[in-house]
Amino acid sequence: MRSPRLAALLTATLVFQLAAEETIAPLGTYTAIERRHWAFQKRTTPEVPTFTEAVDLAWAKVPVDAFVLSRLKKAGLRPAPEADRRTLIRRASFSLLGLPPTPEAVAAFVEDKAPDAWEKVVDRLLASPSYGERWGQHWLDVVRYAETDGFEYDTHRNGAWRFRDYVIQSLNADKPYDKFVLEQLAGDEIAPEAEAMRVAAGLQRMGPLRKNAGNQEVASSRNEVLTEMTNVVGAAFLGVTLGCARCHDHKFDPFRQSDYYRIQSYFSATHEKDITLATAAEQEAWQEKAKGAEAEIKALKAELKDKTKAEEVKAALERRLEAATDKLPPPLSALYSVANDFSKVSPMNLLERGEHDRRKDKVGARPLGILLPEGTPERATLPENPRTKLGEWVIDPENPLTARVMANRIWSWQFGRGLVTTPNDFGKMGLRPSHPELLDYLANQFVAGGWRMKPMHRMLLLSNTWKQGFDSPMAKEAEAQDPENKLLWHWGRRRLEAEELRDSLLQVAGQLNPKAGGPSVIVPVDPELVKFLYKPSQWAITPDPAEHNRRSVYLMAKRNLRLPMMETFDAPDLQISCARRESSTHAPQALELTNGDLASRMATAFAARLEAEAKGDRNKMIERAWLLTTSRLPSAKERAIAGQYLTEGQPLREFALAVLNLNAFLYVD
Amino acid sequence: MSEHIRWTRNRREFVTDAFCGFGSLALAQMLAQAAAKNPLAPKTPHMPDKAKAKSVIFLFQAGGPSHIETFDPKPLLNQLDGQVRPKEFGEAKYQFVAKDARLLGTKRTFQRYGKSGIEVSDLFPHQAQVIDELAVIRSCHGDMVVHSAAQYQLMSGRILPGFPNMGSWVAYGLGTESESLPAYCVLPDPKGALEGGQPMYTQGFLPAVYQPTMLRAGSRPVLNLDLPSGITTPQRRRTLDLLRSLNEAEMTPGDAELEARISAYDLAFKMQTEAPAAFDISKEPDAIRELYGIGKKETDDYGRRCLLARRLVERGVRFVTVVAGGGPGDMQWDAHANIEENHLRMAMHTDQPVAALIKDLKQRGLLDSTLVVWGGEFGRSPESQGAKGRDHHNLGFSMWMAGGGVKGGQVVGATDAIGLRAVEKPYHFRDIHTTILNQLGLQQDALSFLHLGRRERLTEVHGQVISEIV
Repeated sequence: MRSPRLAALLTATLVFQLAAEETIAPLGTYTAIERRHWAFQKRTTPEVPTFTEAVDLAWAKVPVDAFVLSRLKKAGLRPAPEADRRTLIRRASFSLLGLPPTPEAVAAFVEDKAPDAWEKVVDRLLASPSYGERWGQHWLDVVRYAETDGFEYDTHRNGAWRFRDYVIQSLNADKPYDKFVLEQLAGDEIAPEAEAMRVAAGLQRMGPLRKNAGNQEVASSRNEVLTEMTNVVGAAFLGVTLGCARCHDHKFDPFRQSDYYRIQSYFSATHEKDITLATAAEQEAWQEKAKGAEAEIKALKAELKDKTKAEEVKAALERRLEAATDKLPPPLSALYSVANDFSKVSPMNLLERGEHDRRKDKVGARPLGILLPEGTPERATLPENPRTKLGEWVIDPENPLTARVMANRIWSWQFGRGLVTTPNDFGKMGLRPSHPELLDYLANQFVAGGWRMKPMHRMLLLSNTWKQGFDSPMAKEAEAQDPENKLLWHWGRRRLEAEELRDSLLQVAGQLNPKAGGPSVIVPVDPELVKFLYKPSQWAITPDPAEHNRRSVYLMAKRNLRLPMMETFDAPDLQISCARRESSTHAPQALELTNGDLASRMATAFAARLEAEAKGDRNKMIERAWLLTTSRLPSAKERAIAGQYLTEGQPLREFALAVLNLNAFLYVD
Repeated sequence: MSEHIRWTRNRREFVTDAFCGFGSLALAQMLAQAAAKNPLAPKTPHMPDKAKAKSVIFLFQAGGPSHIETFDPKPLLNQLDGQVRPKEFGEAKYQFVAKDARLLGTKRTFQRYGKSGIEVSDLFPHQAQVIDELAVIRSCHGDMVVHSAAQYQLMSGRILPGFPNMGSWVAYGLGTESESLPAYCVLPDPKGALEGGQPMYTQGFLPAVYQPTMLRAGSRPVLNLDLPSGITTPQRRRTLDLLRSLNEAEMTPGDAELEARISAYDLAFKMQTEAPAAFDISKEPDAIRELYGIGKKETDDYGRRCLLARRLVERGVRFVTVVAGGGPGDMQWDAHANIEENHLRMAMHTDQPVAALIKDLKQRGLLDSTLVVWGGEFGRSPESQGAKGRDHHNLGFSMWMAGGGVKGGQVVGATDAIGLRAVEKPYHFRDIHTTILNQLGLQQDALSFLHLGRRERLTEVHGQVISEIV
């Protein structure tokens, strides 16, 4: 029950609140201990360990190996012997391209006597356009790339696939990472006339977007949009959990709530912008087709504005409006991007518990306080290119986080675990690096090499650390001491990721359509899954069946309908940044790979391929099956087992299916 | 208390870390060995002494059933029918209803039932018969007034997609006692989709092993459970034997990770051959089928699915969500246009099956070990939308729990005199979640998963156990 006194008190509170909104939030202060956290320290130039024993000198020829060996020796461990050539080329092919090598490529490498045979393989793989398709997926995981809004409508974003192509092309061109970051943060500011730059800036719109019918909560929606823009800077570029400071000072890391909103200030003028790519004629044709529906929409919107209408009438109008919107022709080709609008700058205040209507002190733009000298002032006004300014700070070679975070990601995606095993969290709750000097060495190399990723890959793949085998003569002892292989005493075997598995099934069966780029493909799925979409019509299957066999990175990334195969093999959920995929083992995976539609189709195609290539020679068929899936010849035991099966008159597709389910195919060792 | 460690890519990591801190090392080792082969092998709860329930059935009433028309009688509301909400009740934010909307009385009548004498409306004559088993929480509240975000909060504790459903959390915490059935099943309403879509049921950032299994309508409810056409079961058995021999041919004995994958195929085959029997309700006695209203047009679908839920928990499935409502709003409890017509129809579909489930679990002695939870993502507004409808309403509404150690036959908490706001012992979704975990012997802090630098758990803000009912 609200009394007049209470009402007066509430008014007073409101006045107080309004006054608070005009007070500038004090700058965060940071203790010496907070500043001392390893990740906030400037990178060091670590000394490369040296060795005296011949066996060490022979193994540690490059700094990466020296750092690794030095740690191993301290623990009384030795690196595992080098893997054989078949294993190495298969591992490299999956690592760089996400596909198995062809038997011919394997044979050529095994027989190549040249001293630079391995370097040639690595360089060939790095030059393949498939490299961008594999490594692009890693980056898309980090920025939670999807082509739909999520939430109930899960509206498809027109032209959003261009961002995926931008990422793939950037990686294939070995675009310097600093440039890559800057373009994604501020491409529209840097070169508004360049299509690719506009597309890159689409990163700002990559998060899920909540829309609802009825009473619009403009301020809270805007707050949600700004939150998504801000959080990704922390997670993707800086590798810190900045998002935790939205509601209160970070509980563990020295990020004050004021730091959070000072970073958010750089986005305060950023608004969504779709830029049409259609020609005048196309636009005209579209207008013509849309005429009827547009008139209907206009009329309904006008009617809805009438406040005197009964609620049930309004609800009916809303439904008609939705139906009329569905009648519009498919949208024209467009760029899904952002632009600054300085006439609509969102006021920036600390928000109590992150709630948009609980505004406290106001803030201006400033990078993260913990990385600035104490007392560095905020900007009094928003610069005309705010995100460029933020980006320049992010990619400053002196920024202690950016280069380390990306160097660690590269390491993590190569070795299956990072030197820091929490690649999105270099803060206090994250794990400390297993090899801090090596991490700094890598980050230094990365920056010195012009932030290019391909030389980093080359450096890693040519190292003896990378070339270790899975089997180690001291496995028992090493496992007891270091079961997680933190010290890298052998190669850590990994299961194929969902996309690698799907793409490899297609390739092995001879069905992979290598076409690159362009609008995303919608493949047929179980109709029951489509039925559970809010708008089943959104799942408009791509008519050309050849398109259905394209690489997974080109399939529609829809937040509310993920392919069962992707789901079951731990592909990320497209909602939040994913730095490191899980790798689980469970029965539905076995069901997917034995009864699933793709597995069934590929088993049939693989059987046909084997039959055609072996021309009735059973031994040749078995050999070919192993070479295609595992890159090696079958062992005597395997030959015997397979041979026995094939004499029983069982269906050949079942044989093919079994081979496609071999552990030797599903794992990279 | 031991921390649950995620199922990582390194088996050894799991086996060595997951059970540190447990009293019985032998048991821990035994469970660890089982878990190395099957991550869904049963796990000991954090508080074995407190674990009352082994399974949960969540009867999700999608769209938001009205508390005012079901379990929360508000005579004053009828007196104020047609008036603007008196100021003393405070403000509320609605999705559709405008500020000047009028209060709407209810046409429902309430009567006291059972020994407990709890009031239930005439919408639910069947649930009224089992009211002494139910703990009605009249003071539930959530943070969101639109479906998708409210559904995410109800299911995962967050208003955003991307967080694990409570069923995934429970599977992560306890595994499953069934070898041939999934740990966590969702039985969606075949009438269609809900606003939260698939992301509200999924495991979010948890490993895919904790993903839900969607059981679709019809005789073939699970995806990929059927053999491709032209392949017989003996043929497939032979294929899997071939696969096993080939996998074992070059494997180092004791390689836990590869052994786990080999056994996943055995489990899959077991599911394939044994699960269909669990889904086949045709052999249930007529009396049971009648109890659930199977064969009667109105109740057939929800009755079948409630009966299926019982059959699943009977076989050791941990968490089953049975959805009532799907497709366009009016096919859910989402009564914007006409509360009378919508709720009569939704109650007609669900009331008898819901009560039958309680009775059936009870007569089988399963109610003690099965926690049943009933509710939607919010309630409905005391104001009318249009002349006869009610809008969404998240500030105060009713849910109930039964079985699984919950003390039935009581009412907890209260909304104000018009059902606008939970004013007495308000319980948030996080408290519902905490209570569900508690009944399973799980602790909200211990059931956590390190993700993006945060130790995530089902409850974002610490929840409290609803002490009155446990």
